[in-house]
Parts: sequence; C-alpha cells; structure tokens
Amino acid sequence: MNALEIRNLTKDYGEFTLDNLNLTLPCGCIMGLIGENGAGKSTTIKLILDMIHRDEGTITLLGRDNREDMLLTKQDIGVVLDEVGIPSCLSAVQVGKIMAHTYTKWDKALYAQYLKKLNLPEKRPFKEYSKGMKMKLGIAVALSHHPKLLILDEATSGLDPVVRDEVVEMFSEFTRDESHAVLISSHIVSDLEKICDYIAFLHKGKLMLCEEKDRLLEEYGLIHCSKEQLSELDSQAVRGVKASPYGVEALVRRDGVPTSIPVSPVSIEELFIFMVKEAA
Amino acid sequence: MKGLLLKDFYLSWRYCRAFLVIVAVFLAVSFVGEDNVFFMIYPIMIASVIPMTLLSYDEHDKWTSYSGTLPYTRTQLVSSKYLVGLCFGTVAFLVSMAATTVRMLTGEGFVLEQFAMVGTALVALGCIGPAVILPYVFKYGAEKGRIAFYITIGLFTAVATVLAGMGFQVLVIGSGLWPLAVVAGVSILLYALSWWLSIRFYQRRDL
Repeated sequence: MNALEIRNLTKDYGEFTLDNLNLTLPCGCIMGLIGENGAGKSTTIKLILDMIHRDEGTITLLGRDNREDMLLTKQDIGVVLDEVGIPSCLSAVQVGKIMAHTYTKWDKALYAQYLKKLNLPEKRPFKEYSKGMKMKLGIAVALSHHPKLLILDEATSGLDPVVRDEVVEMFSEFTRDESHAVLISSHIVSDLEKICDYIAFLHKGKLMLCEEKDRLLEEYGLIHCSKEQLSELDSQAVRGVKASPYGVEALVRRDGVPTSIPVSPVSIEELFIFMVKEAA
Repeated sequence: MKGLLLKDFYLSWRYCRAFLVIVAVFLAVSFVGEDNVFFMIYPIMIASVIPMTLLSYDEHDKWTSYSGTLPYTRTQLVSSKYLVGLCFGTVAFLVSMAATTVRMLTGEGFVLEQFAMVGTALVALGCIGPAVILPYVFKYGAEKGRIAFYITIGLFTAVATVLAGMGFQVLVIGSGLWPLAVVAGVSILLYALSWWLSIRFYQRRDL
C-alpha cells in the first residue's frame, strides 16, 4: 500500500502557485521533499494535512481521501512543523496529558521513554527549552501515539549536527516497520541524503523530479570537460552546466555520455543545485 | 475535545490567574459605598476576554497551525474557545450574583427586580463582547480580527450617535421582569449565532 498519493495537486496564491504536483510514497519508505525556501514544501505539507484548501487534485493518505475521515486518518499520522507549535508555558508532562486526551492510541509509557532517551526535562516550560530540545519534544509527541506516517516539515533545520544525527537515526528506525513511512521536507539536503529512499525536488512550486535516491545516483553523474567537448554531447543528456575559465562541469545522464568521457558520482545536493540553476 | 479544553485550562491558569486577584479586589471595592455596584460586573468583563486572550497566545505560539495537524475538526477547535468562555463566564456570573445577594441582604434587603437587572446586565456583558469579537478573530486571526472589531464598534457607535441625534429611540426597556428576560435571551442567542458564524469562518480559513 502507498502511504501517500498526490495527484495533480494545485494551489494558486496569485504570486505563487503549487502547480500540478504528483507524488507517491510507498509504505516502508522515507521520502525527502527538497526545495529552496519558498519552493512550496510547507504548502504541500499543509495541503496533505488539509490545513489549507486546494484548488485542484486529490490526496490519498494511508488509503483514504484526505477530505474524508480526516479525523481517523490523523490518528495515524505524526506531524512535526518547523516551529513545533507547542504552547510556550506548557511542560512536557502537561503536553503528555493533553495528547493522552487527543490520540486514542497515546502511549504514556512510550512518551516517558522518549523524554528520557532524548534528555528532555519533564517539568520545565517549553519556552525555556533550546531549539533542539523543542524539536525533540515535537518528535517525541509525534511518535508516541504509534503513527503509521510521519510528516516532518523542516524538522531538522536549526539543530546542531549531534542532535540532527540523533533525530535522523530515529526516523530511520521508525521505517524499519514496513507499514510505516516518512515524508520529510528540508532545504538541508545532506540530512535527507543520509536517510531517504525517495527524493522529490520542488522548485518554484513545480516538481522537477521524484525518483528513488539510489536510481538518481546511478542515473546521473558529473563530467569535467571543455566547452567544445560538451557541445558534442546529446543535449538531452546534459541537465546542468557550470562554466569556469578552466572548463566546464556538467551534470549528465550517464546513459547519454560516451564511455570515453569519465563520469564521476554526484551527490543529491549537487544534483539539486545543478537542476535549480538550470531551471532558473 | 477534552485535550483542547485541558490545554486551554492550563493556559488560562498560567496567563489569567492574575485576573483572580483583580476580581477579588473589585468585588471587595463593590461592597464599599453606594455607587460602587459597577465594580460587581467586572468579573464577567474579565471572563469575557479570556477566549480572546487564549487565541492571541495560540497564534503567538503557532498553536493555531499545529492544532490543524491534530485529530480535531475545525468545529471542535472553535467550540473549545466558546466552551471555555461559557465556563469562565458562568463562574464569574455566579460569583457576581452571590456578591449581589450578599450586598442586598446586608443592605436594603433583597429586591427581585434589581437582582434580575444585575443578572441581565451580567449575561449581556458576558455574551455580547465575545459574540462580536470572536468571529472576526476566527476569520482574520487575532491581530487583524481585533482591528476589524474596533472598526465595527467605531462604525456602530457613529451610526448610533447619528440616529440618536435624529431622535430615534433604539431600545425601550419597560418595567417588570419580561424585558430583562428578553435582553438576556437575545444576548445568549447572539452568543450562539456568533459560535455558528465562527465555525463557518474557521472552516474556510487556511491554517
């Protein structure tokens, strides 16, 4: 089963349009939604959660339309937003009590376990937490009702590398269960590169590509050559070019380049930057 | 919806407990002198601003967005604020009515019509304020909603002043208990209408 299916999703704000988005996230996988600030990542997530009204398209979450039985569906979804959203005067214990009355499958013992594991003080008000602690509390809440799908909007931004690593590891652990899935948006591509099975690039409200990460890394590569050599290549194979006085660095489809030209591996971050610059 | 109410009571206790002191002081002042009955209606005025205060904190803390990710309907999100308003309003009403009774019994004696008049004033004050402002807040958010509310009140006052100047009599309250019951009933009806309107507005709002 697919955890998430988005078909022809459109939202028009006038100055910005999320245009005809199509995405599929199978269960057991992690999808990284990558895009620069303002690319449409948060808009997509809010549309998925029916927090904003779409103009066109359909969204299916865990096999159900997101406009029908959303209350039931949200019981199976854990969400962490970039600013978390927990009231600043509440302590972790109070948040736990509120969520126990919110989620039917709230697991008090599991929540206590996460608080301990993440070194979160139980009685300190949320406003006195550091940015990392705030995010970790959001993650503990999102995981303590046994969700099937985690939706994380910039959940790793602003965290120090140690906390980021800890958090990213928790998401990986979550998808060891084949019925679980994670959709995580970030503009910090290196985080997503570590854990994602699927990568979706959003740029100015348009989906540039959505592929399995390993396939992307297999399909694309970087070449270093002269401008003349580049002009001899099939233009369909060249997806991005960075020129300098010393030559040209180009992102290419490996199958469109002659074997005589050495192709070096490309990282997801390089792939994203090349594609965005090419589209600009 | 229990979770939403619990959250609002935690926030009320944290942010609005200073109101308890104000209420106690004002009630005490109302017992001193003949002209201080006005202070007796203060508890209800304070209770009526609690939902608005909570909504401002929700917006500041980004709870407004976060609550949209939780398994609650928009109707429940709106209703929790109206219910919190009702709870605090009822407590304030009972406190003020008890104080009124004590004042009467220790003074000139219990007068039913005067007692009913205070009760009606409390119901009207407790209902009409939130009934007018809350739909604006649910439609436009706390800041813009407050501005829209002030504009409406300004326009209403201006129109009322002009009409009064032209000799119109807007409301005539006769003697007896019936007119008071009508005023109280209309106030409660306005609160219910505002509740329904806020739900309609919030269902259309992007979080």
